[in-house]
Amino acid sequence: MGSKDSCRTELRTAIRQLSDRCLYSASKWASEQLVGIEQDPAKFTPSHTRFQRGSSSIRRRFRTNDIPSTPAAGVSYTTTPVPEEDEIVDSDCYLLAKSYFDCREYRRAAHALRDQTGKKAVFLRCYALFLAGEKRKEEEMIELDGPLGKSDAVNHELVSLERELSAYRKSGNIDPFGLYLYGLVLKENGHEDLSRNVLVESVNSYPWNWSAWSELQSLCTTIDILNTLNLKNHWMKDFFLASAYQGLRMHSESLSKYEYLQGTFTFSNYIQAQIAKAQYSLREFEQVEVIFEELLRNDPYRVEDMDMYSNVLYAKECFSALSYLAHRVFLTDKYQPESCCIIGNYYSLKGQHEKSVVYFRRALKLNKNYLSAWTLMGHEYVEMKNIPAAIDAYRRAVDIDPCDYRAWYGLGQAYEMMCMPFYALYYFQKSVYLQPNDSRLWIAMAQCYEAEQLHMLEEAIKCYKRAANCNDREAIALHQLAKLHNELGRSEEAAFYYKKDLERMEDEDREGPNMVEALLFLATHCKAQKRFEEAEVYCTRLLDYTGPEKETAKSLLRGMRAAQSGLPSMDVEHFPP
Amino acid sequence: MREEEVEKLRGVVRDCVSKHLYSSAIFFADKVAAFTSDPADIYMQAQALYLGRHYRRAFHLLNASQIVLRDLRFRYLAAKCLEELKEWDQCLSMLGDAKIDEHGNVHDLKDCNVMYLEKDGEDHEINITSAICFLRGKAYEALENRAQARQWYKAAIKADPLCYEALECLIDNHMLTCEEETSLLSSLQFGPEDGWLSSFYSCLIKKYDKENVVEAKFTELEKGNCGINSSDPSFTNTLKNNTDLLACKAEYYHQCGEYQKCFDLTSVLLERDPFHLKCTLVHLAAAMELGHSNELYLMACNLVKDYPQKALSWFAVGCYYYCIKKYDQSRRYFSKATQLDGTFAPAWIGYGNAYAAQEEGDQAMFAYRTGARLFPGCHLPTLYIGMEYMRTHSFKLAEQFFLQAKTICPSDPLVYNELGVVAYHMKEYKKAVWWFEKTLAHIPSSLSEMWEPTVVNLAHALRKLKMYHEAISYYEKALALSTRSLSTYAGLAYTYHLQDNFNAAITYYHKALWLKPDDQFCTEMLTLALVDECRRGSDHKNESRRSDVHAL
Repeated sequence: MGSKDSCRTELRTAIRQLSDRCLYSASKWASEQLVGIEQDPAKFTPSHTRFQRGSSSIRRRFRTNDIPSTPAAGVSYTTTPVPEEDEIVDSDCYLLAKSYFDCREYRRAAHALRDQTGKKAVFLRCYALFLAGEKRKEEEMIELDGPLGKSDAVNHELVSLERELSAYRKSGNIDPFGLYLYGLVLKENGHEDLSRNVLVESVNSYPWNWSAWSELQSLCTTIDILNTLNLKNHWMKDFFLASAYQGLRMHSESLSKYEYLQGTFTFSNYIQAQIAKAQYSLREFEQVEVIFEELLRNDPYRVEDMDMYSNVLYAKECFSALSYLAHRVFLTDKYQPESCCIIGNYYSLKGQHEKSVVYFRRALKLNKNYLSAWTLMGHEYVEMKNIPAAIDAYRRAVDIDPCDYRAWYGLGQAYEMMCMPFYALYYFQKSVYLQPNDSRLWIAMAQCYEAEQLHMLEEAIKCYKRAANCNDREAIALHQLAKLHNELGRSEEAAFYYKKDLERMEDEDREGPNMVEALLFLATHCKAQKRFEEAEVYCTRLLDYTGPEKETAKSLLRGMRAAQSGLPSMDVEHFPP
Repeated sequence: MREEEVEKLRGVVRDCVSKHLYSSAIFFADKVAAFTSDPADIYMQAQALYLGRHYRRAFHLLNASQIVLRDLRFRYLAAKCLEELKEWDQCLSMLGDAKIDEHGNVHDLKDCNVMYLEKDGEDHEINITSAICFLRGKAYEALENRAQARQWYKAAIKADPLCYEALECLIDNHMLTCEEETSLLSSLQFGPEDGWLSSFYSCLIKKYDKENVVEAKFTELEKGNCGINSSDPSFTNTLKNNTDLLACKAEYYHQCGEYQKCFDLTSVLLERDPFHLKCTLVHLAAAMELGHSNELYLMACNLVKDYPQKALSWFAVGCYYYCIKKYDQSRRYFSKATQLDGTFAPAWIGYGNAYAAQEEGDQAMFAYRTGARLFPGCHLPTLYIGMEYMRTHSFKLAEQFFLQAKTICPSDPLVYNELGVVAYHMKEYKKAVWWFEKTLAHIPSSLSEMWEPTVVNLAHALRKLKMYHEAISYYEKALALSTRSLSTYAGLAYTYHLQDNFNAAITYYHKALWLKPDDQFCTEMLTLALVDECRRGSDHKNESRRSDVHAL
């Protein structure tokens, strides 16, 4: 890792260059990281470090396992010199075009640059055209269809842009920014391999453009692809890898990268939010909550990533906190997709599903590629028993990101409700492939196998076993395993699982019909095995319950005593109705 | 009157003509002729009358003079008058009954004994025989004797390669097939200083050659190294940006399917020369392909305002309506264009297409048939007739027409694609594959989105031949060109399904259904695939999944 000072200088230059090219989100990202670098407190007055107070407390609290986080031996960071501008003074046309661009008049901006041949001007012209096409596409989408209906609107500039940029690349007359745009266009046109190569070229020659890294990350759908990328070593690569690992659900690797990065970017809100994201995926809700509370204290008008916080609050049913958060983002900026999503969650928790759908829809209108809003809206539709709409929403979600296991699971659930277990099974398989340690998914899959149309009990048993192995919180798997084995006439196995289930229920102090069922089976089973003492224990426990089981237990006990005393058994098989 | 005074009067006549003061010219020419009775002066008087639109009088004057049958120029001018009077039979008999053979060689019966009076002072004059041949062609065309007309046009351009009008008629009215055009061009004998013209003509004719051949033609002209005196750089510079040449280039772009490039070029050209008709036509066609209905609307309005009597103007209106999918109106205006000028090929084809767009096959066929009859050198009507037959599942007939289109234009890849489709429908899959491969081989430029259907067709045919690997590779090629085709995804899914690769099949059925959620084939096949996937060796699958999970 370069020293803090060098990072700082690099970022400062990069921010200027990025915003000069109207790459605003990249420049915002870079600025956040710049401020996130720890200042030497001796040299700066507190006012300089105002942004940075407080957040170290989280670090102290959660530094449980300090992973030695230096880069592997032998990695040397090549210093990429910040390139000098090819035109020191922007031409008047460029200034005009940039002003138009800032006023979101993209076509005018492109037209103002029509005769310019400098790399910078060419980039801005192409970028303006690209955005003009995107803007038109979005408008067409709204004109032609609601957010649920997909439309065939395309960015009409893509084809000509691809041709032009590929010509520039062939002639070598292109800068890293142009390469970034070329990669973007290629990705939109579906040429993923070439797009990856171009983006790698771009980030290798200019690593400070976070937008390029993000695009590259969205193209790394498997770890193999990620490993084959030929990236130069630069501290920006660590940011990329951390984010990419997260995308590939390698959360612990991602966390260790982020913790390593925190060494330099100690106060980066971005890193904190990303850590929260990883913790959220690991379902460590407590920690996520703490991080977000801290984040909100430092950056009270932050809306980014707050939707995840609302998800945590929703899952924990923290009603008041969620309400507070919803009102807060509402006042900050109600027309941000994240705000709408938070408000949607809020209404959902209140049980007002129609209202909640309205807000998710609004979120999607603002950003139609907003993955979690699609999934959450699907959940709402399921609640409202509008299954076709739910399916549509989930499908949009998996179309945007085929790695979203929640949406796959939702799809499976929806199809299950429509009594189409073959479909449901396929989708559950997809979700379980992505999230193999989630017992709920395995149980859902097993239930599909149990369905009448399939009736593949062996498969179901396998799934339940997997579920039982991965921390089945609701303890369905063991019970089902016992029941299935019993149905298949394998009383030994059934007894084994009933016993396990019973032990677990005892540990967790749970009572209920499952307990009765287990006891009853075990009692009968032991009796049939002539293990009368054991059977007697179970029967006595059954006597604590009211209902027909009590009578059965009594008769069992009687039968056993009779058998032990050598009398002919009477009515052993008789169960009261 | 003295000789010098007469000479001065002749000068006045010439000057009046050049200043378009025809009445004065007639007045003075009459006086000169009266003074001298010289045949040359009578000719001058007739010329003035012709230009002053007194055709009948001019004809009478020429007819009355004794010399008319002996001098070619007199006869030609008399015939020109008859042309203006639309008396075609008389016009032909005035020109004399020369015979012409298949190759456009003229056997004139009496030409040997006609005299040809003094040439005008110009050093390069269009051969009068060429002009006569051209006029004969026009007369025959007006009499709807197209075969004869074609022969005479050919004779005209052969007699003098500088007779551009004859070539223009041949090309614009699609009178010759691709091969005929090329062979005609190669038989022309250009003067030593007209090398550039030969290259220029080769750019004008049909351009179905490979990309590099055509490009070479253009660059040759642009460089201007075709026998032009290289010491005159100003001339070579101008030809590079010549509108006619660039219009040819635009035409070529349009034919290759590079509509955006074509549109950009024609937009620039029309800015420079807003009334260049050929360029306008190409511009309209490109705008229509790109769906620029607004541009079409403006063009059509302006054209109708400026040239209400031109077929092109109403054709533009038809194009606009076609572009916004109002086929009824578009038909009306295409039909109006054909009524104004029956030889305007695009209007006939547009007329047919507007019917075909509404699946009214009979009427479409009628329009195409007329087109095919009028324009024997244009393969499109024949091709479209075949397509109509294919729509009604008359595959045999369709094939015949496609083969006919192929003889007219053996280098258009579209024809081969259609032949392949017919073969596919007739279940002759090997043949279909052969045709599709031929299609791909004939594509002028690199593989573009325009040819994605052919790639998909080829993949379908390979799938039918059970060559699944090849089929899959072609489907993937097609996906690289366009990701919005249901047929590609469905075909790919089905191929995987046939290979018992259910997982991949399911994935692609999903993608297909994502494009069109109510597609029956995909829905049914997906259900089947899901059942198969679930039933078949789920043990094995679970194992493999587990190992995948570990790999993660």
